[in-house]
Amino acid sequence: MEKIIVKGTDLKKSYKMSKTNTIKALNGVNIEVKEGDFTAIIGPSGCGKSTLMHILGLLARPDEGSLEIDGEDFSKLNERKAYKVRAQKIGFIFQGFNLIPTLTAIENVVLAGRYGGMKVGERKKRAEELLELVGLKDRMNHKPNELSGGQQQRVAIARALMNNPSIILADEPTGELDTKTSLEVMNILKKLNKDNNQTFLIVTHNLDVAKECKSIIKLKDGKNDK
Amino acid sequence: MKNYQPTPFREPVVEHPKSAEALSGITSGTLPVDTLNKIAEVDGVKAVAAGISLMVEEPDPENPNTGVSMGPPPTIMGMDTKSDFVNKNWTSLNMKEGKLIDKNTPDNEITIGYSIALDKKLKTGDTMTIRGRDFKVIGVLEKTMTGPDSYVMMQMTPARELFVASNPFLKSLKEKADKAASISDAELAKLSPDSRAQILQAKSFKMEDVSTSASVSWKDDYDSDVVAKNIKDKLNQEVSVLSPKKMGEEIDKASAMINSIILGSAMLALIVGLFSIVNTMVMSISERTKEIGIKKALGASNKAIAWEYTLEAGIIGLLGGAIGAGFGTLTTTLVNAKMAEKGAEIFLIEPSFIIQVLVFSFVIGVIAGVIPAIRASKMQVVQALREL
Repeated sequence: MEKIIVKGTDLKKSYKMSKTNTIKALNGVNIEVKEGDFTAIIGPSGCGKSTLMHILGLLARPDEGSLEIDGEDFSKLNERKAYKVRAQKIGFIFQGFNLIPTLTAIENVVLAGRYGGMKVGERKKRAEELLELVGLKDRMNHKPNELSGGQQQRVAIARALMNNPSIILADEPTGELDTKTSLEVMNILKKLNKDNNQTFLIVTHNLDVAKECKSIIKLKDGKNDK
Repeated sequence: MKNYQPTPFREPVVEHPKSAEALSGITSGTLPVDTLNKIAEVDGVKAVAAGISLMVEEPDPENPNTGVSMGPPPTIMGMDTKSDFVNKNWTSLNMKEGKLIDKNTPDNEITIGYSIALDKKLKTGDTMTIRGRDFKVIGVLEKTMTGPDSYVMMQMTPARELFVASNPFLKSLKEKADKAASISDAELAKLSPDSRAQILQAKSFKMEDVSTSASVSWKDDYDSDVVAKNIKDKLNQEVSVLSPKKMGEEIDKASAMINSIILGSAMLALIVGLFSIVNTMVMSISERTKEIGIKKALGASNKAIAWEYTLEAGIIGLLGGAIGAGFGTLTTTLVNAKMAEKGAEIFLIEPSFIIQVLVFSFVIGVIAGVIPAIRASKMQVVQALREL
């Protein structure tokens, strides 16, 4: 039986915009991601994709429902303890790459290892291996503004892999890339999934990207769209 | 910056009531050996050392401004090296070169202060002519930025001779005494009673009686103020006594104005610097909200974020301090070089002071940065990531 990495049950989350206006971003979403899954979450703008992503990535907590990662319930996890789980179990790939502009490619990757509690000596070695894996061996010492969008996203992929996470959450990973580069990035993710059995959950509104995934979860108005 | 720092007087200084004036060679105010012996017997007194203070340069009546320069005037300090008295100030003086005079030093050898060496371009082994008499320099003191920089330290005998020679009254007394000494007792008996009395009086003049001041060290368990009072009481109006405390008060009074100006400027610089760092950090953190969000998403704890940004503020402070210390050192070096031409350097920067400045700058940076850093650490990740 395949191991369940993430299990969200009846997840609800609302945001209070003003005294009278509350937006229900999630209204009872159920989600299950198994080890080695390559799943896309799709849905129209405002359907709750990003909120679900933040909850699954422990960047926010659900108002109701339960969330288990590697069999542990984290739905009520205190922010003071969440950073450790984030560092060790979850890898993030963002739409806007979100690299630290003042650091080089390798320094950006090493930073994740530092927060993940990796030993100093190991960090650089692993960061070099990962950057080589994503095809950036010769661009390691370049700063983000010296890299193309595709290259920056590849640095972000290496960074997400740094602490060997249980799951990588990718929020519109090709959102800022052209078709050709998007395909290159998706191919890297697929290869990692195939070769390393790395679990991916990809939020996208691009159906071409979704088609590359093994399974698709549809959201609509904060609920699962059957 | 260690600039003017008065020598901490630890011994009560005893002076003849008029000897303050004697410093400028106007009166004959001296402390006779008998008086010094009386002081030595006072309860609490451990040892007494006679001293002579005399200006190095002979005053020029035609041009009284000659030799006027920054700092105290060059002064001959006759030192009673044979006394048991231990001057805590002088023994702690560091030598730039050579050695300090001691009880075995011949009368024609001297140790000179840093400013004197600088002004007269003297070094160990050179000869310095003081009031027409040649002395061999056996040591130069390290820069202190206080009194000793302008001292010429010599044995009591030559200092007394120079003092007597500089004072017309004492000079004539000495001449009479010398003449009287050559008169034998047989010749004396032949003289009239009046002349005999005069010669006997002249004979009673002893060079050992010529001292302008005396320093007193006190026994352990005794309070210096009490000892000072005991001396005053026992010798009544014969001498004026300055206790270390009173001396300190006098010096404090004199330097209070300068100190408050320096302290005021330093406080102003500190407050401005502190707010500059706070402002820099607040701006820097608000500009890097997204960066903080990314770091937190990657797994940085609140503590790690607070520590990182506090350290950054500390480093900003340290760099500011280093640049300031660099400019300060450069400026003081230039001013010192300029002032050295006039015979006295004003500033003294010690390596330990630079280290203190750097540590202090770092601490100020940390203090200024800690609140913005804590605020940064408490930022909500999702909101921070949404920042452009």
